[in-house]
Amino acid sequence: MQNKNSKYAEIQLVHRMTVIKRIIHWSFFAAIINNIITGFYIAYPFLIFGKTPTQADSLSTGVLNSGETYQAFIMTWMREFHFIGAVIIDVIFFVWLYLAFFSWKEPLYKSFIPFGDKMEEAWRMLKHYFTLKDRPETGKYQDPLNAIIFTFFHLLILLQMLTGFQMYVASFTGTSAVGAWWPWLLHFSTDWTLVVFGGLTGVTLVHLFIMWLIIIFIVYHIYIEVWRSVMWKEGDILIPFGGYKYMRNKSGSE
Amino acid sequence: MASDNHSDSGNSNSNGNNSGNNFKWDPLRFLSKKPDEVLKKVDDRLDELEKEYFKGKKDKEENLPNIFGIYGVTRRDFLKWSAFLTSALMLPYIFEPRVARAANILTRTPFIWLDMADCMGNTEAFLRNANPTPAEIILNYVSVNYMESIMAPAGYQAEARRTETVKKYKGKYILVVEGAIPTGMDGKFLTIGAKGDTGLKITKETAKHAGVIIAVGNCAAYGGIPAANPNPTSAVGLSSVTNRSVINIPACPANPVNLVGTLVEYLLIGKAPQLDNLGRPLWAYSGRLHDNCYRRGHFEAGEYVRQWGDDGAKKQYCLYMMGCKGPFTWNNCTTAEYNQDISFPMRAGHGCIGCSQPKFWDRMTPFEKPNADAKIIIPGVEATADEFGVGLFAAAGAGIAAHAIYTGVKKKKERNNNKSKNENNDDSKKNNDKKE
Ligand code: HEM
Ligand code: SF4
Ligand code: SF4
Repeated sequence: MQNKNSKYAEIQLVHRMTVIKRIIHWSFFAAIINNIITGFYIAYPFLIFGKTPTQADSLSTGVLNSGETYQAFIMTWMREFHFIGAVIIDVIFFVWLYLAFFSWKEPLYKSFIPFGDKMEEAWRMLKHYFTLKDRPETGKYQDPLNAIIFTFFHLLILLQMLTGFQMYVASFTGTSAVGAWWPWLLHFSTDWTLVVFGGLTGVTLVHLFIMWLIIIFIVYHIYIEVWRSVMWKEGDILIPFGGYKYMRNKSGSE
Repeated sequence: MASDNHSDSGNSNSNGNNSGNNFKWDPLRFLSKKPDEVLKKVDDRLDELEKEYFKGKKDKEENLPNIFGIYGVTRRDFLKWSAFLTSALMLPYIFEPRVARAANILTRTPFIWLDMADCMGNTEAFLRNANPTPAEIILNYVSVNYMESIMAPAGYQAEARRTETVKKYKGKYILVVEGAIPTGMDGKFLTIGAKGDTGLKITKETAKHAGVIIAVGNCAAYGGIPAANPNPTSAVGLSSVTNRSVINIPACPANPVNLVGTLVEYLLIGKAPQLDNLGRPLWAYSGRLHDNCYRRGHFEAGEYVRQWGDDGAKKQYCLYMMGCKGPFTWNNCTTAEYNQDISFPMRAGHGCIGCSQPKFWDRMTPFEKPNADAKIIIPGVEATADEFGVGLFAAAGAGIAAHAIYTGVKKKKERNNNKSKNENNDDSKKNNDKKE
C-alpha cells in the first residue's frame, strides 16, 4: 500500500489484527478488569452491607445500607460476575492458543521462528528501549519481544485459570448438574496446584498474587504501546482499534 | 465415570486414590447391588461377631443398658442416638437397628489405643466429659486392652499386655493411634514404656497385625502441631510410617461421632469406609464447612463481623473477615456438630481454624485474619500477597516513570544536537524527520 505523496513515500500500512483478534483483545480487557474488581472484593469485601449502627457508621465498615439480609446479595453478585468473567477468559485463552498456531493471517509462532534469530531481535529491541538507537525494523508480524511478553502473560492467565478452577471445584461433591465428568476434569487438571502451592489456602494466595502480576502487565503494556507510538510514529496504539499500523523502515527509503 | 463396572472401587482400602477424582458414593458400600443381599451380609457378619464377643443372649442384651444406666442414658436416648448416627453415616434408615447392634459389639472388640507425640486432647475430649453422649460412653467402655492413660497395669506389665493382644487377636483388634510419630534420629525423640521403645517401632509393630487402623486427630492423621514448621523432630502422620491403609479422622480434637461412626461402619461391613484423597471417610468429610454453614447467607449478603463483639457478631454475621477458614476445610462440624448437636465453632462465634486439613498450623494461620492476610512463602520475602504485589507494582511504576523521563531527556538532547547540526547541513533535516 504505497502512498503517492512523495514526503511519505516510504510509509506502508501493515495489517496486524483481524476483526476477531480485536474483539478478543477488548473482551479480554473487559473480562480481566471485571475479574480484578470482583476478585479483589472476594478477597476483601470492602463494601459492607448492613443496617446496624456500628457497622454502618464509618466509611470502611459500611457505605451502603442494604436493608435486610435477603435484599443484599452483594457477594453472590461479585462471585457471579467473577465466574462470568472467568468463562470469557477461559474461552479466550483457548481461542488465543488456537490462533497462535492456526491463524491464517498472523500466527504468533511466526514471531518465534527461526528461534535463534528472533531471540536476537528481541534482545536488540530491549537494547533499543534503553538506548533509543538502532531500532529493529518493523516487520509483517509482531516483534519478537512483544511476542515473548504476551506469551508469558498468557501463561499467567493459564495459571490463574488453573488456580481459579481448583477453588471452583472445591464446593463440588463428586458430581454436577452436567455430570460427573466435569468435576473429574477439573480435579484431574488442577489438583496438582494443591500439592505445589500448599493446599487450598496456598492456591488462593497464588491466585491473589498473580492478580498483581497481571495488573503490572496491564500498566506496562499500555505504557510501552504509547511509548512506541510516540517514539516510532507508526501508530502502534491504533492496532487494537483499526487493525493496522504504519511501517517506516529505513530500508524502504534509503 | 457413570458406568457400572465401577463397583469394585469401594473395595479399595487404600489411603489414597479413592479421591474426588473417581468419587462414586454408594450408600450400600459396594457390598452388593441388591439391597436384600447387603442386609443379609451385614446380618450374618453381626451374628458372627456377637457369637464371638458375647457369652450368650443375656450378656448381649444387658451389655449396653448396664453401661448406659450408669450415666442415666435411657434406651430411648440410645435409639435416638443410633438413628442420628445412621443418618450421619448416610446409611438407609433400615440400618438403624444394625447400627445399634454394631455399637454394642464395639464395646467388646479388642482395642488398642496408642498415644504418640500429642497433647492427648482427643483422649481428654472423649473421656473427660460432664455430659457424655452415647458416642463418648461407648468409647469409655470399649474393651481397651492397651491405653496408657487409663489402664491399670504399668511398665513391663503394660507392654506385655499390648504384645499379648497383638498376638491373641491377630487381624481382629482395632488400632487407634493418637498423635504424630517423630521419625528424626530413628524415632528417638519419642520413647515410651519400660523398655524405652520408640514410638516409631511401637506403631509399626502394632499396625502390622491390626484389623483396622485409625489415626485420630490431626497429629496422627497428618502430623498436626508436632509436624508444624520447622518440625524439629521430623514428625509425620501415621500413614507415612506404615504401608497398611490408615483411616484418618482428623480435627482437633476429632469429633467422637466420626470415630465411633467409622468403627461402627467397619463392624457392619468388615472393611474401611470409602475414603477421600486425604484418607478421610467420605460420609464425614465430603462436605466443605463453608457450603454447609448456617452463616453462609450472611456471607453471600456481604454482612460480616468486623470486630469481636460488634453488632454484626451479635447478629451472627459471617466470620470471613475474622479469619474463618471454613472455605478451605472439609468436615462435618456444621452438620453433625460437637457434643452431639450442641455447638461448633461458627455457632459459638469464632471462625473455623481448618483443623481437619493437613498442615493446618502452617497453612491456615493467622487464624483470626482472612486468608488474604497470610504471608506468602517465597524465599527471602516476608509479606502478604498484597504487600508483595503492591511492592512489585510500585517498583514497576517507578521503573516505567524512570524510563519515560529518561526517554524524554534523551530525545530533547538529540533534538538540540540535531538543531545545531541542521544549521550547517540543510540536507540532514529530511532524514532526521523521518527517523523520529
Ligand atoms: C485475570 C483474571 C483473574 C483475576 C485478576 C482474579 C482475581 C481473583 C481474586 C483476587 C480472588 C480472591 C482471592 C482471595 O480470596 O484471596 C479470586 C477468587 C476466585 N477466582 Fe479469580 N481471578 C481471575 C480469573 C479467574 C479465573 C479464570 C477463574 C476460573 C474459574 C477464577 C476463579 C476464581 C474463584 C473460584 C475464586 C474464589 C471465589 C470464592 O472463594 O468465593 N478466577 N480471583
Ligand atoms: S462463617 Fe465461615 S464457614 Fe460460615 S459462611 Fe462465613 S466464612 Fe463460610
Ligand atoms: S469448625 Fe474447623 S476448626 Fe472447628 S472443629 Fe471444625 S474443622 Fe476444626
